Amino acid sequence: MAGAGTLREALRALLPPTKEELTLQLGETVERSVVRLLREAVELFCGGRGDECLQASEAILDYSWEKLNTGPWRDVHRDWRRVYAFGCLLKAVCLCEETGDAGAVAAALRVCDMGLLMGAAILGDILTKVAAVLQAHLPSGKRPAPGPAQEQPHEKRRNLRPQDSNLLRSLSWEVVGKFRHSPSEDIAGTEWQRGNVAHPSCIFLPKARHDHVRIPDVRSERTVPRLRCPSLQHFRKHFLVPGRPVILEGVADQWPCMKKWSLEYIQDVAGCRTVPVEVGSRYTDEEWSQTLMTVNEFISKYIRDEIPELKRDISIPDYCCLGDGDEEEITINAWFGPQGTVSPLHQDPQQNFLAQVTGRKYIRLYSPQESEALYPHDTHLLHNTSQVDVENPDLEKFPKFAEAPFLSCILCPGEILFIPVKYWHYVRALDLSFSVSFWWS
Amino acid sequence: MAEERRGSWFGFGFCGFGQALGSGRGRQVHSPEPLQTPGEDADVCRVSASWSYTAFVTRGGRLELSGSAGCAAGGCRDAWASEALLVVLRAGPGRGAGTELQAWAPGSALSGEPLWAHTVGPEAEGEDAPGGEPQAGALPLLPGARAYVSPRPPFYSPLAPELRARRLELGAEHALLLDEAGQVFSWGQGRHGQLGHGTLEAELEPRPLEALQGVPMAEVAAGGWHSVCVSETGDIYIWGWNESGQLALPSRSLAEVGKTAAGEASGPKEDGSDVRTAEGESGGLAPFIAIQPFPALLDLPPGTDAVKASCGSRHTAVVTRTGELYTWGWGKYGQLGHEDTSSLDRPRRVEYFVDKRLQVRAVSCGPWNTYVYAVEKAEG
Repeated sequence: MAGAGTLREALRALLPPTKEELTLQLGETVERSVVRLLREAVELFCGGRGDECLQASEAILDYSWEKLNTGPWRDVHRDWRRVYAFGCLLKAVCLCEETGDAGAVAAALRVCDMGLLMGAAILGDILTKVAAVLQAHLPSGKRPAPGPAQEQPHEKRRNLRPQDSNLLRSLSWEVVGKFRHSPSEDIAGTEWQRGNVAHPSCIFLPKARHDHVRIPDVRSERTVPRLRCPSLQHFRKHFLVPGRPVILEGVADQWPCMKKWSLEYIQDVAGCRTVPVEVGSRYTDEEWSQTLMTVNEFISKYIRDEIPELKRDISIPDYCCLGDGDEEEITINAWFGPQGTVSPLHQDPQQNFLAQVTGRKYIRLYSPQESEALYPHDTHLLHNTSQVDVENPDLEKFPKFAEAPFLSCILCPGEILFIPVKYWHYVRALDLSFSVSFWWS
Repeated sequence: MAEERRGSWFGFGFCGFGQALGSGRGRQVHSPEPLQTPGEDADVCRVSASWSYTAFVTRGGRLELSGSAGCAAGGCRDAWASEALLVVLRAGPGRGAGTELQAWAPGSALSGEPLWAHTVGPEAEGEDAPGGEPQAGALPLLPGARAYVSPRPPFYSPLAPELRARRLELGAEHALLLDEAGQVFSWGQGRHGQLGHGTLEAELEPRPLEALQGVPMAEVAAGGWHSVCVSETGDIYIWGWNESGQLALPSRSLAEVGKTAAGEASGPKEDGSDVRTAEGESGGLAPFIAIQPFPALLDLPPGTDAVKASCGSRHTAVVTRTGELYTWGWGKYGQLGHEDTSSLDRPRRVEYFVDKRLQVRAVSCGPWNTYVYAVEKAEG
């Protein structure tokens, strides 16, 4: 494998050339002592004192981590997240300065991923670039342990296309704000409440038990209407403005073509990256917890089947332009998990396009007007989550639920479901499923 | 009859800004070292440590700062250090002029004008404890107990007089209050269980801890996201976030490094199995606890009574009636004083003081370090 030299050069090439440029413009929120420590860390780095820089970076990380965990996430000042990212940058680069061995590189990549998950973009989104370089210097999960320097890792790596970058970004940090704590908030005694996460926001949802797949008979239920490539105006007038769900067919046919999605591709593109994972069939269950692991670890632990190859590509549906935000504000999430994964009935504060890539999902939708019959949790943290188990409701405890009207569907590959803002939705994966959701306003 | 010798201060933990902590060598001190305070070797009666600097107040009213801020000033009765603000209680200019509460930017070296100042009434003349022991200063609770200061806006908050506050402690996002009757109140953010009311909900106003009603408390201490109180009979109650074992309850993150007390028997991680539990004392499986939302009674070794407690960001320190110091929680910067940087999820005695035949009398934790006041054991 190409040695530490090329890695070090590649990383240095990404960093600003002068130490004056290796700084953050920070406002008043960040205390002077921290600014001083940041400056000192940069001095140490530029002075070649890697060990001491590492020490200073650790202190920067530990201090800013405390700030990230103080108060509600949405109130955490962006500057603290930038400081945290900066600490991750210095630490990652320092870890690789001495040795380029796989252990150090993997550790550095993990640090980058933490910076991407919890930090904020700095220095022209440098952490993404550093992570890409580190990734390129790691053997892929599927290859056997490398022998004496024979292969050039670069040659075997497929180049990331812009669309893949987007997806990779979503695998890494679109869950920002929703995953913050160290893994597993096991709470003693009282009824389980879920951290400060308000949405089943993590990427992968493995199930805890193996059920026979029950395919609901949707013919007996009111179904979500379907449209083939409606015009923007039609969609806006009849669905966006009145807040009505609809399945869009044929939209995926418009997408640029031919791409095979396979487990191998996902591992190639993202195998060594660290992502948050939810463990447990439903996040309102007692065994639910969040943890961090690499995509490779996740796949080897929870995914047993191959994904059937799919000749689809993914881009942002045009209909998102009908919203108020601009393209950067669209949140793209990738959802990947085995058959049986359930998202309990909940609502989101934004419009949602759920694009099904592979596998089928059974989805039930309840209008926000029916909220009372859905018995949302009354705690602040979970008020957008229903207490009712949709396919196995306790009607003694939740009598009104039986009468609440709903729409349902089985969403198949190539189809996109429009879920209006605040519309309650319940999802169960009927197969190993890969979906992409677009949240917009 | 044995006579009490005058004691001295010791420090250990993070000193990355050169704050006085024992020898001051390097960025961390892992075992207690005698303090070398700058300037005169006067009687330090109050230590208030922020992250990057420490404030020392002597019995003679001298204030000294050490670390990222450095200066000395006179006429100070009490000081309270935070990164954003240094709050000082100073004797007023003339006789009978009362005491003035001043807030300074730490780097200002107390020269020029304070950021703000507030005259406090003559009841501010506090008493020192007999025997010369350092008092846990009243700040951030103001003399008169009608208000308290905070490093975050609002900087000055009134307290309902009926609360009859005796002691107030601030965490990163919560507050604890101990009243004259020994009742504990809490308010602020609750997402880490640090309020102790059994939920994760926030409280806007001081709310009494029902679980502790009827047990008079002698001390309260607030860490970053956890809370501790010590009863008059020497029991410790603890609640809040346990992510580094600061509650002395089994912590998952420590187990994953192989360091949990209860998890010493847990085997290597198995593929496909994500069930992580701890071996309880009796051999049964005890769950890991990251959040304890209502008070838990903590077990110190039998026969030990706690008398004082202090918390850093993520660690806890307790002084016993017999003069021992126990620490646990986050240890990465040596703030536990056990000669290493391991974190602990069970109480461990700091052997240094036993070995040196010192009796610990007081403890004051900064976010990532610990200051201890101890006297030599009286000769028999």
